[in-house]
Amino acid sequence: MSSATRQQVTSLWGLALLLAAWTVYAVYFSPTTGWTFFLQLTVNGIILGSIYALIALGYSMVYGILKLLNFAHGDVYMIGSFIGFGVLTLLGGPLNPAIPVALLVLCMFVVAMLGSGFLGLAIERFAYRPLRDAPRIAPLISALGVAFFLENSALLLFGASYRNYDGFDLISYNGIHLGGSTGVFVSYLGVIVISGAVLLTLALIALVRWTQFGKAMRAISFDREAAAMMGIDTDRVIATTFFVGSALAGAAGVMFGLLFSQIYHLMGFLAGLKGFTAAVVGGIGSIPGAMLGGLLVGLVESWAQGYLNGNDSELVVFGILIGVMLIRPSGLLGTPALQKV
Amino acid sequence: MKKVMVAAVFAVALSILAATALGSAKAPARAKASSLATATVKCGATRTIGIAAPYTGPDADIGNQQVRWAKFFVKRWNAQKANSHRKIKVVNGDTQLGVDTAFAVQVAKSFASNSKVLGVVGPAGSQEVIASTSAYKKGGLGFISGSATKVTLTDGHTDGNRRGYFFRTVPNDGAQAPVVANWMTKKLKWKRVYIIDDQEAYSQGLADGVQKILNNRGVTTKRDSIDPKVSDFSSTIAKIPSNYQGIYIPWQGAPLAQTFGQQLQAAGKGHIKLFGSDGLFAPGVWKIAGSYDSAFPYDPTNPIVKAYVKAHKGNGEFFGLPSYVAAQVVVGAVTRACADGKATRAEVRKYIGKTKLKSSILGFPVSFAKSGEMHAPATFGVFQIQKNGSFKRIG
Repeated sequence: MSSATRQQVTSLWGLALLLAAWTVYAVYFSPTTGWTFFLQLTVNGIILGSIYALIALGYSMVYGILKLLNFAHGDVYMIGSFIGFGVLTLLGGPLNPAIPVALLVLCMFVVAMLGSGFLGLAIERFAYRPLRDAPRIAPLISALGVAFFLENSALLLFGASYRNYDGFDLISYNGIHLGGSTGVFVSYLGVIVISGAVLLTLALIALVRWTQFGKAMRAISFDREAAAMMGIDTDRVIATTFFVGSALAGAAGVMFGLLFSQIYHLMGFLAGLKGFTAAVVGGIGSIPGAMLGGLLVGLVESWAQGYLNGNDSELVVFGILIGVMLIRPSGLLGTPALQKV
Repeated sequence: MKKVMVAAVFAVALSILAATALGSAKAPARAKASSLATATVKCGATRTIGIAAPYTGPDADIGNQQVRWAKFFVKRWNAQKANSHRKIKVVNGDTQLGVDTAFAVQVAKSFASNSKVLGVVGPAGSQEVIASTSAYKKGGLGFISGSATKVTLTDGHTDGNRRGYFFRTVPNDGAQAPVVANWMTKKLKWKRVYIIDDQEAYSQGLADGVQKILNNRGVTTKRDSIDPKVSDFSSTIAKIPSNYQGIYIPWQGAPLAQTFGQQLQAAGKGHIKLFGSDGLFAPGVWKIAGSYDSAFPYDPTNPIVKAYVKAHKGNGEFFGLPSYVAAQVVVGAVTRACADGKATRAEVRKYIGKTKLKSSILGFPVSFAKSGEMHAPATFGVFQIQKNGSFKRIG
């Protein structure tokens, strides 16, 4: 077992122990005891975490290949949600859809993912590619600029008013009751979100592990110059990576809209920050790490809202980020950077 | 090197263009705010007022309602033949309520140093009023809010003394909390109420007020809060016991309440009724049928109200309605001050204080006490959301 793998296993064991201890405390000793309440919050956290995971995947992919923190990613997610809303409105709206609901939802996802993907392509081409060989700070500033540009463009195009997906009216207010009518409730929307996130993540893992493109991606993330010398079209691979990462963000945007209804031009900022936190906690550059980080952030936020106060969840989430950075700077599943001596 | 030169030339050219554009635009006369406080301004055929509201930001939805109502008044005023020689021009000030009160202060300073601005409608939030009072006072500007309801704004000592400068065309939270608590206990006969604030001063003040009255009357209450930037309320909802009868949500931003209500319903707790405050008065946006809301009163039969609803595709945007009256008061005061062709900001403030509207779209006459509060019978009404999304007054 390599040193990096050993560290990852240790991290996972540590995490498992912490989660077990927390579970025991929450269920038996907290002010609100009981398995039902704990499991309900856990399910809520997994649903929320699935969305964060999709955002985190985009951050991780781009960082893995370019060592760039794409701070515009949260706003690509925001644009994706607006594209999905546009499709929903064009096809009749949540109360009177012109086509079967399943087809409508599929259209929303496909169009939003394509739209966000192409937006990601454009961002990469015009805001990042010219700065690829510039000092690291330059593309970072460019990313921030793109973020503000997208936010204000959305404000100009769509206005300041919130838009409402009315996802529950579109799909259903019903769901699955686990353990009877007073047991844990999982809405059908929640099931769609979790299964969508799992499918997309599996597709991404398959893309990275078992395709030529994935191999090229991994080669470039290891050594861009060497990959270019081996004949890999680095520009095309990087652009495609942005496309895929942005498409995932677009999917996350539609999921958010369906589940939480309201979308607005500033929604990308906090979600992007949490997606970034998830990517860093999981290990930036690692795809499984991004998924794990996303789920963790969602769970922590849900548990904090449930066991503490509504205004403490952000405190706890970002406190966790600081804690993980202090104990394991490369993240739970990240690989410590090699240093030449 | 060549790229750097090209970029530098481009930047210089852009700067020259920008400077030319700015220089040629008619910029308002800027002067020290303090000297403008006492300066006499020539009124002319066009008089200027400022509208301070959240045009952008998380509360832009309600802010733009206020702007539209205020500008609706100005449009109607300017359209009258009798006002052809005394038209009103509006200067916008984006306070970005919900982001940082520093924007409200910036707007106040900007208005104060604009010699043409004689009075101000806004700002929207109580916290903005507190933050920007000093700037308005320094500039001698009177300002009328159509939504800042914190009780202590007009008591003359807490959070500063702004008497003679600040007025409001809404009742304060001291009137709202008893109306809400009375309705819950006497009409609805609730015994268990869950109270959730949104961490803002307005919301916490109302939540505290209602909770205190309910507790004194033997009602069981539980208190929680949400972060208005977050849209996932599932965990907060999981904490609410199913045997509670009502949830009090004194928030700003109706979309938030709509999302909360939908998630409540999806969690199988739709039988627990929601009760909102004036910040949620948005027919067509918050449309959870059966929910209650306390809000500013208005006269739905008034032809002006009907004209606004018609002009805005059936959406009354009634949160902004008091700003129409605020604009009416400011414009009236400016017009009276300008009767002799010139005016000072002090004169405008004096005439604001002396305002006596025999009738208004609020449904009652409008005049102000020395504190800046409206005289009675200003109070809050209770509305219930109907199945078609409209708000019906029931109390």
